Amino acid sequence: MSTIAPMLLEDTKLEPKAGGFYRHQNFLTGLIVGILSGFIGWVVSLALLQGSNFGSDMVVTVTLTCWVIGFNAGMGTFNAIFRWILGHDQNHEDELYAAGVGQGWKRYWKYCTDHKVVGTQYLVLVMVLFGVGGTLAMMIRTQLLSPNSRFMSPETYNAIVSIHGMIMIIATIIMVSGPFANFIMPIMIGAKDMAFPRLNAMSFWVVVSAVPPILGSFFLGGVPAGWTTYAPLSVQAPPAMDAFAITICTFVISVTVAGINTLVTVLTMRAKGMTMGRLPIFVWGSIIAGGLGLYAMPAFLMAQSALITDRVVGTGFYVAEQGGTGWLYENTFWIMGHPEVYVILIPPVGALIEIASTFARKPVFGYKVMVAGISGIATLSIMVWAHHMFTTGWAPTLADPFMLTTELISIPTGIIFLCMVGTIWRGSIWTRLPMYFLYLFIFNFIIGGITGIYLSDVPADQYFHGNMFVTAHFHYTLLGGGLVGAMGAVCYWFPKVTSRMLNERIGKTAFWVVAIGIQITYMAQFYEGFQGMARRVANYNALFVDANRVSSAGAYILMAGMLIFMYAIIHSWRHGKKASANPWHAKSLEWMTLTPVPLENFLVDPVVTGHPYGYGEPDSKPVAPEMPVPVSANSGGSH
Amino acid sequence: MSYEEKRDEIAEEVKPIVAHTMPFHKKAPAKVVYITIVFTIIGVLLALFLPTHMFPFSMSPEMHDAVLTFVVFTIAAAPVAALVYAIAAYSLIAWRKKGANNNEEPPEDGAPSHGSGLITSLWIGTSVVLVLFLLVWGMAELSAETAQQSNAIQVNVTGQQWMWTFSYPGTGVTTHNLILPEGRQIDFNVTSMDVTHGFWPVEMGVQIDANPNVIDHIAATTNRLGSFDVRCSQICGLYHAYMQTKGTVVTNAQFATWLASQGASSSSIQSYALSGK
Repeated sequence: MSTIAPMLLEDTKLEPKAGGFYRHQNFLTGLIVGILSGFIGWVVSLALLQGSNFGSDMVVTVTLTCWVIGFNAGMGTFNAIFRWILGHDQNHEDELYAAGVGQGWKRYWKYCTDHKVVGTQYLVLVMVLFGVGGTLAMMIRTQLLSPNSRFMSPETYNAIVSIHGMIMIIATIIMVSGPFANFIMPIMIGAKDMAFPRLNAMSFWVVVSAVPPILGSFFLGGVPAGWTTYAPLSVQAPPAMDAFAITICTFVISVTVAGINTLVTVLTMRAKGMTMGRLPIFVWGSIIAGGLGLYAMPAFLMAQSALITDRVVGTGFYVAEQGGTGWLYENTFWIMGHPEVYVILIPPVGALIEIASTFARKPVFGYKVMVAGISGIATLSIMVWAHHMFTTGWAPTLADPFMLTTELISIPTGIIFLCMVGTIWRGSIWTRLPMYFLYLFIFNFIIGGITGIYLSDVPADQYFHGNMFVTAHFHYTLLGGGLVGAMGAVCYWFPKVTSRMLNERIGKTAFWVVAIGIQITYMAQFYEGFQGMARRVANYNALFVDANRVSSAGAYILMAGMLIFMYAIIHSWRHGKKASANPWHAKSLEWMTLTPVPLENFLVDPVVTGHPYGYGEPDSKPVAPEMPVPVSANSGGSH
Repeated sequence: MSYEEKRDEIAEEVKPIVAHTMPFHKKAPAKVVYITIVFTIIGVLLALFLPTHMFPFSMSPEMHDAVLTFVVFTIAAAPVAALVYAIAAYSLIAWRKKGANNNEEPPEDGAPSHGSGLITSLWIGTSVVLVLFLLVWGMAELSAETAQQSNAIQVNVTGQQWMWTFSYPGTGVTTHNLILPEGRQIDFNVTSMDVTHGFWPVEMGVQIDANPNVIDHIAATTNRLGSFDVRCSQICGLYHAYMQTKGTVVTNAQFATWLASQGASSSSIQSYALSGK
């Protein structure tokens, strides 16, 4: 313990000037500068553009762009760059200040470069986004309680459907990559921090700045086109569409920055002895999802920025009268859209494999096959986008090849199932809360996967496309699979992130309510799909009323379950039992350090001597013996 | 001591894997197979008996294909799903840690196996065969559906916010309620006047987007008298939910009478209704 560098602990006193300009910046200054900057942009663009053809769209675009830039300037995103421009760098004390040393809870409101702070910030943001998206979902289900419902106007309903979709997509993309690829992943590979800590903080605060525009779209006429915002409807939509597009462009910057950061961290920052063949599956999942995001998200940026220019300066990429075509939008959108669902799904799957190994007390079944399976999914996913376009009339001759690539994905998906049940098989199953979510994932994802094969088949897709069946299918995969996996990950790493144990009594109540709610809600939607109910409709024929009532009832149950889960998190975070450093007696590196995790993560640089799944091998040690492996909650001392 | 020396020293210390003490039920694999068979039978029965209660009446071979594909794919997928569920369920029931305070400390470790090449190969091989089956099935159905038949007639479909207009080329007849003759392949030529719509004659089992300035084609053959729904399957703005109408399949004689009642001349009806023959 003598090797503890005292300056790395939180109670270190820094000299008063440390941090420079960062000292004056926090979330509040970000808000003030952002609003001010947006206001200036609004006044200037209004004065210059009043009366022109594209006036209101231009004003909204300029105002919101100014907000995003202003908010980030106010947060401190550009501080380091300006320092370099001015010819000096940040000194060590400044860096320590930026990493949040000695600032207690206030660092969570600042541009903090400590990856653990960024991870925690992401966790809270994800919960907020799911809260917003879930509330919108409840409004949708309330509207659909009966035909000819007067709960909302069709205009409001369409806007809510669109924003529910996009908020949930943003939330699910960051739900595991945000909190855990930031907080846990660097510790898992024995790194002191991410490779680019400032970019890491940037990736978070840029997402934060992306949220107000999309919520503001409700006050700008509402997005009428679903989250897919197909052109030309989106070209003709109210200025809300500009706000939507600004959100996407901003969000893509964040995902790109985060993806590069994850990749570089794993490739360059691994501890001694942490070979690529010893990386935990979750780390593999994080880098593959990060790399896939780097491929996918720029296509979204292209699609939406061309949409902005169509709307703001009349370029006509997507407007048939000007020689453009909506198929261009649909292609660029789905070139992003299909890899993106695996950007969402791969990190939770990686987390669930960690959970399977830890709670079955067994090594991962087929480590290399699993990595190959995830890589195979990622590779195939960039070649399947047109299966979303089987019925759009674009290139009917490509139906067969896209049917082939789509159906091929079921092979690596099968490998994931093999590795999961192979790990459980002959395990010694410890039925703690994370294991519950693994089981729920297996149950739901089988249903989500099998319903996908009907949609991959063109003749069957001719019936199911654009129909509630599709809605139920992707909710089974993204909610029943992805979000359930993320909830498992939250339960698994909760002790490491918050230093407290999650209350499993409340957590298990939430689990059962959520599990039942999912089945009722989406089984009823499958039934609506069989009956022939179209998606995204504010009203429906009396024929569908029973299934819709069941689905709405299920949705309320699901929401209740989610609220109980959120209560379990908040309650345990404040009052939970103190966690020991390694409550699950797991073998990967994040459990080999103290809880709470000190700045720069390890008191002694870890040397890795084996793979992280040495269960059943009595003498296997993941790390070299000179590293103190803490077992008790009190061995820390940084608080 | 250098890092490499230390690593080698540790590697020497690692003893050969000792046999774990978990009891292994010799009958476990057989039991999993039984559970799988039971689950598979349930899946197959559901696939055979549920669709008639879920899908609307089929009005065309295309719709029949969609339903048949659903049944066949469900039967093909049932054993896979059943096996995964059976392994997960059996493991949980047989090997979970039991006892009063089972949550305080972890159970002793499970079998230290890192996987099995044989099982992995079998698993991947089976999924390759299944995928090939799905693909061949889909391609065969698709090529049968897109084959041009000799008795085809043309119907022009135009979507606009928020209604459908159908016209019968050469006859000058335009309607908002689709009327079709029985036993004919209908070639729909679909376009839009404004934004993208989705032309979906539900019980005919086909769908195609209506895009502005483009004519998309989709064909379906009517093989049953009766009425069906036409809906918009692509969100198209404010009244998307209300963009629906009725379609009716009538006999050829009724169809000719109806065209005449709409003001089509008898020669144009003759040439239109015989256009494919």
